[in-house]
Amino acid sequence: MTTFLATVIVGLGTYLSRSVFILALARKTIPDSVLLILQFVAPAVLGALVIALSTDEGGSVAIGLPELSAFAVGGWITHKTRNHILTLVVGMSVYWIVGALT
Amino acid sequence: MFGKRAGIKRGVGDALPLFVPAVPFALVIGLAIVESGINVFAGWSGSWLIFGGAAQLTLVSLLGPGAAVIAAITAALVVNARHLLYSAALTPTFQSQPTWFRWVGPYVLIDQMFALATLESESDPPAFRIYYLAAGATFWTLWQITTAVGIALGPVVPEDWNLELAVPLLFIGLIVLGIDKPSKVVAALVGAGVTYLFAGLPSRSGLLVGALAGVVAGAIVERMRR
Repeated sequence: MTTFLATVIVGLGTYLSRSVFILALARKTIPDSVLLILQFVAPAVLGALVIALSTDEGGSVAIGLPELSAFAVGGWITHKTRNHILTLVVGMSVYWIVGALT
Repeated sequence: MFGKRAGIKRGVGDALPLFVPAVPFALVIGLAIVESGINVFAGWSGSWLIFGGAAQLTLVSLLGPGAAVIAAITAALVVNARHLLYSAALTPTFQSQPTWFRWVGPYVLIDQMFALATLESESDPPAFRIYYLAAGATFWTLWQITTAVGIALGPVVPEDWNLELAVPLLFIGLIVLGIDKPSKVVAALVGAGVTYLFAGLPSRSGLLVGALAGVVAGAIVERMRR
């Protein structure tokens, strides 16, 4: 029961964090200065997530040559082809190959 | 009719490759639920009550025999606090949508959905809505199935494949697709760099510090360019 209740609370909190501005500002005019700032949320959060997802439980970032190679080649493939499947296949292949060689 | 079908096809098609790296993650969550000793149904209910892998994993890992429930809830909410930024960033896009969609849409606003929605935000409102719902429904359905399979099977993907790397790899692709000016490059690099510096903060809150720093840096550079 405690687990379910805790899950409900986290679920409500998560929904609130995802919806609060969308619902509260639905009919408000958003100033240009705020719109200027909001356009940087996506690149900033995604950049931060790349590092956070490569961080282990102890807080150390595990990014070496295999990861960097995969990121560089993956980014280039997306830029050239806009194809996520190809990015996934080539990027992971580069990671495994460089990891095996180093 | 054709446009609707094409929109659904595109939403599902864009969601599928982004879901592939989430498969091992879902399996890990399933295993964590079993190992934590909590009620299996209550643990799995996070898949649809929370619908956010990182927070769900944090919660089930910290719950369990003798766990401090309040601490577990707080940690899971901190992990998902970045969604406040997603909500703020997508507000202009959702303003042109009907009320029901403004209530339903945020429920599936996970990282991948935010990235896809940002890239799609220039579409006309009905097309955006169809695309968003198709991609969101795809993520949601697959997530329910794979976390349940994870509970039943445990880790079926060998750990040394490190398939988790596919998630940041695809996020780099999404950054590349979304960059149309130098200030966004600055935002991404500062976001990553500051998160790196603050990686040791508890509950992965370095992510929030990094994200906010990236937004501020991007805005400053943009103002200087104007």
